[in-house]
Amino acid sequence: MALLELENVQTSYGAIRALKGISLTVEQGEIVTLIGSNGAGKSTTLKTISGLLRPSAGEIRLGGQRIDQLPPHRVTELGIGHVPEGRRIFPRLTVAENLEMGAYTLSEKNAVADGIERSFKLFPRLRERAKQLGGTLSGGEQQMLAMARTLMMKPKILMMDEPSMGLAPILVEQIFEIIAQLNQTGVTILLVEQNALKALDVAHRGYVIQTGEIALDGPAAALRADPSVRLAYLGEI
Amino acid sequence: MEEGLRILPQILISGLVIGFLYAVVALGYTMVYGVLEFINFAHSEIFMFGAFIGFEVLMFLQKTSLLTTLPMVISLILTMLAAMIFSGALGWTVERLAYRPLRGAPRLVPLISAIGVSFFLQDAARIIWEALRGNWQLAVPPLYTGVLTMGPWQVAGAPLQLQVPYGAIVIMVSGLIMMFSLIWFVNKTKVGKAMRAVAQDRSTAALMGVNVDRIISTTFVIGGALGGAAGSLFAIRYTSITPYIGFILGVKAFTAAVFGGIGNLAGAVIGGLLLGIFEALGTAYLGPLTHGALKGPEYKDIFAFLILILVLVFKPAGLLGRTVGEKV
Amino acid sequence: MNAIKKGLKSALSWPAHRFAQLLTAERTALVTALLVTVLASAYQVAAPASGLAILCTLGAALALSYAGIKPWLRVVLMTFLLLGVLPYAGTLNPGVSSLMIQMFIYIALALGLNLVVGFAGLLDLGYIAFFAGGAYVYSIFASSQAAKFLPWFAANAPQGLGGWWFWAALPLALLVAAFMGIALGLPVMRMRGDYLAIVTLGFGEVIQVIARNLDTPINITGGAPGIAPIQAPTLFGMDMGQPTSLYYIGLVFVVLTAIAMYRIEHSRVGRALAAMREDDIAARAMGVPLVKMKLLAFATGASFSGGMGMLFAVKQHFINPDTFGFMESIGILAMIILGGLGSIRGVIVGAAAVTLLRFQFLPDLSALSANWGLPSAIDLTKYQPLIFGLILIVMMIYRQDGLIPATRRKENIAALEGPLPVPAGGTGTSVAK
Ligand SMILES: Nc1ncnc2c1ncn2[C@@H]1O[C@H](COP(=O)(O)OP(=O)(O)OP(=O)(O)O)[C@@H](O)[C@H]1O
Ligand SMILES: [Mg+2]
Repeated sequence: MALLELENVQTSYGAIRALKGISLTVEQGEIVTLIGSNGAGKSTTLKTISGLLRPSAGEIRLGGQRIDQLPPHRVTELGIGHVPEGRRIFPRLTVAENLEMGAYTLSEKNAVADGIERSFKLFPRLRERAKQLGGTLSGGEQQMLAMARTLMMKPKILMMDEPSMGLAPILVEQIFEIIAQLNQTGVTILLVEQNALKALDVAHRGYVIQTGEIALDGPAAALRADPSVRLAYLGEI
Repeated sequence: MEEGLRILPQILISGLVIGFLYAVVALGYTMVYGVLEFINFAHSEIFMFGAFIGFEVLMFLQKTSLLTTLPMVISLILTMLAAMIFSGALGWTVERLAYRPLRGAPRLVPLISAIGVSFFLQDAARIIWEALRGNWQLAVPPLYTGVLTMGPWQVAGAPLQLQVPYGAIVIMVSGLIMMFSLIWFVNKTKVGKAMRAVAQDRSTAALMGVNVDRIISTTFVIGGALGGAAGSLFAIRYTSITPYIGFILGVKAFTAAVFGGIGNLAGAVIGGLLLGIFEALGTAYLGPLTHGALKGPEYKDIFAFLILILVLVFKPAGLLGRTVGEKV
Repeated sequence: MNAIKKGLKSALSWPAHRFAQLLTAERTALVTALLVTVLASAYQVAAPASGLAILCTLGAALALSYAGIKPWLRVVLMTFLLLGVLPYAGTLNPGVSSLMIQMFIYIALALGLNLVVGFAGLLDLGYIAFFAGGAYVYSIFASSQAAKFLPWFAANAPQGLGGWWFWAALPLALLVAAFMGIALGLPVMRMRGDYLAIVTLGFGEVIQVIARNLDTPINITGGAPGIAPIQAPTLFGMDMGQPTSLYYIGLVFVVLTAIAMYRIEHSRVGRALAAMREDDIAARAMGVPLVKMKLLAFATGASFSGGMGMLFAVKQHFINPDTFGFMESIGILAMIILGGLGSIRGVIVGAAAVTLLRFQFLPDLSALSANWGLPSAIDLTKYQPLIFGLILIVMMIYRQDGLIPATRRKENIAALEGPLPVPAGGTGTSVAK
């Protein structure tokens, strides 16, 4: 049984049908990437999974359990961590407080302290900035904080929406390294990316989404080689 | 002039006392505005209910003659506690019934609903206490009615004496305690941090596992409890209450919140105190300054509105606030 | 609890056009229209003081406004009801005329406020201040008040200026109120909607405080006791102060106001306001001068309020500051919310319904309950704030567009102000819908 399953999921914004029946699976331990052009419905898919949007049809299951009618905080409690598009750091909480918010669902006594220690190991830059307000961080630091914050909750599956957006190439490298590294420690990852090349390099499998529908799917290497993908998303002929 | 200066300390004290009430009520407005970007128009009536509940407790204590046998502090705590519990529950109920169904609607829709709630509660109080006590203008049983006299000191060759009613001291002390507790709560506790997170970015807070609805309810409960406490203190200090005490005081407290920077707790406190002092100064000196042409007390309520308009026109972010449109 | 909720919801969600369709089939429409007119007239004349009869007559007028009959016939029948039946009932029982004048005042006020709230999207909670302005402008010079601070009046017109003054004061009252509207509007126009609401509320209070205290140092307003008695207008030497004759002035005011509103709605300004409500940014991009348009609507709405204030002063024969409280502003707001923001017909119906309730049905009911010996705490006439509050809450939760929604734009109130700001990059308000 797959860890996360979407079956014919449809989501609308009022009259606009953004998802017209998405089906995908993410297995335990995998990195799965979801690529597609602007407005294809990638963010909508993630928001629907995490409960920010409610699908009008279809089923979403986490470890076999239906989660598509749950409010977002319940979905989070069940182990889905969603790093939203644009980082969405709490601008007027300190870095440490932002991290604490990530551990909101955990009740163990040391969860916060341990988690913060782990975050600082993963992103040493954050340690220096612990007392600074989130809104004053640079874009790259905010991305690190956003990832660290969601990792605080020890999610069963980590969903990231365009983590490389707006970052300098060197930081992009770093982010993808960390993604691979995280996966090696056993974190399952669903990665939404504009940077299809990098995403397909790091992922095991991939889905191509086009105007709210899955157009193509398969092993990352196969997608990487697919001529239509190369033309449309990799800018190669 | 000389005479005017001599009464200044006394005026400052009475301004400070009403300022503390404004501040505590303003905290309720500013918290809700911070989290929901919404003027909880009914907050003034939650304050008013606090005064009436406080009144009922004091009546009960008087009837059972506990009022004279119990230590005054115990009576005070009982009164305030009952008012806080009731008003907190009322705040919760109002949010559930009249605001939550309108979450996500255009800004003015919940505001209109809140105005409706305000009128409803005001009249409900009138009806209830008219039925209960035969009158809606009620004299509050005495608690902390004494006066602390300080001085006299020799100032500029004449004796100067300060009179501070115990009720005023009670307001200032409990006001300080509530303000610092609230600021501690919002900044240091898990729920307080979640509250700030919800205020800054509701959907991301939900992604962190925060039950946004529950946090919003909590905000209304705390705001309501503070309003209730302020109401009971008002009843104790000013000894006469009506269902209409909330309206003007509410607008002024909201002014204080805007003055200090809406969404900012410390701002609400500073705004409240300053407003109270300005008002006291204006009330006392308008008459003498215009050589008796304009009566200060009659124009008392205008000062707050003038400040509100001036602040909104010239510094809409308030003293400590960010630009309008940003949240807590 | 849930059953009540459901019942309320279904009761409040009847489609207004269903009723309209009933009357649009040509021949049945004609027969029904005539029948309704005749029956209502008969009832009205037979029982002139009955609230139910007035309700039927006004209901008949409403039905006629929907009826699919020839426009000239509609005008004839409506004229018959409004210029024949009701004034005649008024001669049988002056209470009818008084009630109708009150209703005309509120209808015109509601139409004016609708221009501000419904068309321009500005929640004005101090609308009654302009009403007070008009009332005072007229009353000060139509009573012995002016003589108290102007020597000329003391010498030449100790009891005021006489009946002609009404007609001279009318443009003045409109101007004064419009000026007040601009004075208030200029600073508040750029404020956010909710701040604007509070500031206008404050303005209303300030005007009331000033009216109450401007008896010193010079006695201009008469202070808390107010001004009395106030002279009635005359027209060609006729005394127009009696309810029966004042009725006609009121009716003319209302008809003119309604026509003005209709014209404004379909004018360039009206379309600009509508565009602005639908899409603020797009309208601005199209070159609509937003602030100017809003200010224009604000001042125009205020001037209607001022004009009606005069009529009110004439009807009451006295005014004092207490008549111009916040509750009145909310009462008018309740009327337009009940009827339907932005819907002229809805606003008229809302105003008529609330007036009937306030001045006819509640007093009737409380007289009844007094007859039964019920305690005065249950005196229903005092329950107005409660009722206004309930109207606002229930309408906001169950029927935001009012009983008779505006036809042109369905999402009327939704356009008052943009939706809550969505934090950058996502759907901030879509949490757990
Ligand atoms: N709040 C909203 N209201 C209405 N339509 C929306 C909303 N959010 C997204 N959409 C529409 O839904 C579709 C899918 O949007 P989505 O944000 O999922 O795209 P995306 O694949 O994440 O694009 P990008 O790569 O630009 O982030 C788009 O057509 C978009 O215009
Ligand atoms: Mg996206």
